[in-house]
Amino acid sequence: MHDVVKFLRIVLLGGLCGCAPVGASAQLPVCPPRPPLQSVVVNPLDLFSQNGVLNVDLTLQNAVGSDGYMHYCYVYVNQGQQVEAPTLRLNPGDQLILNLTNNIRAPYDRYPPKISYAQKIKAMHMGHMHKAETPSDPCDGGMVGPSSTNLHFHGLNISPTCHQDEVIKTIIESGDPPFQFNTQIPANDQPGMYWYHPHPHGFTTTQVNGGASGALIIEGSNPLTDGLTEHVIVIRQEFMNANSWLPGPNSLTLNFVPVPPLHGPLPIIKAQTGKQEFWRVLNASTQAFLTLQLEYGDTVQPLEVIALDGVPLQMPTNYTTLSVPPAGRVEFIVPPLPSGTTGTLLTLGYDTGPVGNPNPAQVMAKIEPAMNGMQSKPSPRRAAATPIGAKRFAGLKLQTPTAQRSLYFSEETVGTNGPTSYFITVKGQRPHVFHMDDPPAITTKVGAVEDWTIENRAGEAHAFHIHQLHFLVMAINGVPVPNPVLQDTITIPNWTGSGPYPSVTLRMDFRDPNIAGTFVYHCHILDHEDAGMMAKIQVNPAN
Amino acid sequence: MKMYLRLLLTVAFIVAVAAAGVAGSPPQKGSAADPAPATYVITNDDASALLGQNSISFFQAGGTPSAPSLTYQTTLFIGGTGIGGGFFGTSRLNSLPDSGAQCLYVSDAGSGAVVAVNLQTQQAAGTFFGSENDAGTTNGIGLGLNANYLYASFTDSNTIGTFTILPGCQLSFVNDVSVGGLNGGTIYAMALSGNILVVSYADGSIESFNIGAGTPVPNGDAQNSTGYVIDYNNLPDGIDISQNGHYAIFGDAAVSPVVEVSDISSGKLKPTTVYRLGAGPTAVAPNAVVSGVNSSNVRLSPDESLLFISNNQSGTVTAGFFNPATGSISPGCTSATLSGFYSPWAYVASMVTENTSGNGGVLYVAEFGVPSSIGILTITSTGGTCRLAESINSPAVDPITSGGVLSIWAYPPRPF
Repeated sequence: MHDVVKFLRIVLLGGLCGCAPVGASAQLPVCPPRPPLQSVVVNPLDLFSQNGVLNVDLTLQNAVGSDGYMHYCYVYVNQGQQVEAPTLRLNPGDQLILNLTNNIRAPYDRYPPKISYAQKIKAMHMGHMHKAETPSDPCDGGMVGPSSTNLHFHGLNISPTCHQDEVIKTIIESGDPPFQFNTQIPANDQPGMYWYHPHPHGFTTTQVNGGASGALIIEGSNPLTDGLTEHVIVIRQEFMNANSWLPGPNSLTLNFVPVPPLHGPLPIIKAQTGKQEFWRVLNASTQAFLTLQLEYGDTVQPLEVIALDGVPLQMPTNYTTLSVPPAGRVEFIVPPLPSGTTGTLLTLGYDTGPVGNPNPAQVMAKIEPAMNGMQSKPSPRRAAATPIGAKRFAGLKLQTPTAQRSLYFSEETVGTNGPTSYFITVKGQRPHVFHMDDPPAITTKVGAVEDWTIENRAGEAHAFHIHQLHFLVMAINGVPVPNPVLQDTITIPNWTGSGPYPSVTLRMDFRDPNIAGTFVYHCHILDHEDAGMMAKIQVNPAN
Repeated sequence: MKMYLRLLLTVAFIVAVAAAGVAGSPPQKGSAADPAPATYVITNDDASALLGQNSISFFQAGGTPSAPSLTYQTTLFIGGTGIGGGFFGTSRLNSLPDSGAQCLYVSDAGSGAVVAVNLQTQQAAGTFFGSENDAGTTNGIGLGLNANYLYASFTDSNTIGTFTILPGCQLSFVNDVSVGGLNGGTIYAMALSGNILVVSYADGSIESFNIGAGTPVPNGDAQNSTGYVIDYNNLPDGIDISQNGHYAIFGDAAVSPVVEVSDISSGKLKPTTVYRLGAGPTAVAPNAVVSGVNSSNVRLSPDESLLFISNNQSGTVTAGFFNPATGSISPGCTSATLSGFYSPWAYVASMVTENTSGNGGVLYVAEFGVPSSIGILTITSTGGTCRLAESINSPAVDPITSGGVLSIWAYPPRPF
């Protein structure tokens, strides 16, 4: 019974979660309606590349939904119908051309309350403030506000330049002409599940909380999964007030089907009886640490994991519990559902620490047999392009690090309810709430391979993420990992108040010249990121 | 499931001990068998509406000089509701700095009220409200008083309410004034001495008011603190004022122990001087516990030789040597991490001493958690050295808490 802040939040959640959402008010533009309680979880619309190119137009807009929540939706128009958050499917080497129109209207909750007043003033600047001088260039940074947005391709190992995957200076204002992202998936990239979401500093939480996210899948042939029915499940989390210390009314959603927080009709996943299935799960929540289990009847099922964070495991491995931090992905093969049986998908909860956010256990979905083939046909699949050369990050384990660095997460709060300042700091530097016009905290160069040890000195868990690359998890709490895996997001548990700080040691691969530039690393609990738990790294060209 | 089990067990625990508390007997002070006046430590339990009404709990000081203790006596339910948390530096209960003080004032942040408690009868003497606008439902209501007026800082409405103190601990609301930091920040904390009321804001600024006529009148000295100007991570929070009224001392919310001192002998704030009392996280060996994180609460010892600092987020307490003639502070000592940090409690907050003279003898510190508790430390100081050692009888658990104790008070209180 040590989790006092969490206790309070849960108590208040308990008091609030039964409340009816506030009445929806008419507001344009309208997001597509989202499925009601107890709906079948349906895969998002797939958009496939054609002849090596995927050309897609998305509009980000917002509106209060019938559930009372403020929705932020990526809208794709499919045969005259608005469709939300399609899955982008490409092969290695394909070109992605994404035209994003920002149509955000009248957002509320202008300032995340966890940022102090003075910090707000400083934190809302992007880049070098050239925006006011050249307001027509979204690549020049400037003031970021509640109507601003941009886009991050989470996990893709692509260039940190404007129009590709750059979030420091790229800022698209509502009403700007469509902004084109144009990037090529590396031909030697790993097939697996990635995702896209907005990343405007200070407002990421609000937009992602509203549902602005979608899956991006790099295709690849795998004899273990070819021909299996594929489920793409995007788990989101929506709060009535994304930036409130109090949890308030909130729920997880599975492809937008709400999961009742305490009890109520569950989302339904239709599974084929007697056949394995291939599930790709994305944790697109703003702060939920998921610990997934699948039960048939009362029996916990082994799940054969084939990929983490988009990267195939060298050896598929069976687990009964899958820990997925915010922003993490896991791809696995589900055992056949026995005839006459139903099942449940649940999260066991996660102890985020004495001052962490509530992260309770929940039953998330009911597994029911698919009838007459409904939802049971395999997703359309194509032969993936043959990868060229060695896979990204090949041989990283055997590389000799060119540098060792130590970083740590920490927090400063003025009271039990915040506002809290969140830091990620290089040891030897002073803790600092991130501003977009900060100089890089770390400078390195193309060709470097570095080992970073990252501690958590806070009383709550954090989730480390770095843009543009995957890292190899070399050690946890100083203990070497026997079979390191590549990830782009990793949980670092809370400090318990005594003893060594929890830590991970990550091998960073800066050998790819394509990632030269300046990008960010941060905590992927998004209100932590918005409140400053982020820093820049500058990767200079080798010469 | 573990989370819900914890919740259920916690609620059951609270309900059980609350029932026991109602049946308890009030403390017996100054009985014939105990010629020395007893010292009581009193908590604002800050119970939120979801778990009942707010209360204050009484603990009696005891034990031996080397192993001091606190013994729970009773709980008085005061009718309103708390919020179970808020700003560290906000003082949620207060009395006149007088061993003969009759009245203790307690804030009910959830219901927006100030409750008067008669210390002789240990009974509530009345519940008083400010204007309809006054609210502190998110981060609390702070209290400060002199012989004539009580001031209540409402942290949500950003107002300071003025009440006239009447016989029988009664209050009469006069008015409220809107306040705000230079950069728009809300009010964190306040302290008063003579005609000056000193305030800290959430935006790094500080300000003083003249209260000679009762209602606070700005002195026109609002300023960003020096610590904030140096590093915007430093936010002046809790305040104490030296006995002679010459120095206002601010504990900063900061990443290491930082305090600031302003000369107020002119009746206005002068620019603050910054004192860093811990190495902080930038000079710490790997995996070592830093000397302190966050220093929002400060409290002078009765003889003003020591300044106690709660390191709110690292579960330790620091003492610095204070020079009341110059207002300067020099590094002293830091306690070990107090028992129960992060399990079951999460933050340390306000402090009081047992004795009303000397260095205070024993330091009590509020430990915010479920359950909350009071840390007990012996104070040793000779020459330029000091030691803060936790008693084997620490902590004293507050059985009546549905959210957390941030503010404690001692009776008899320190004489300034």
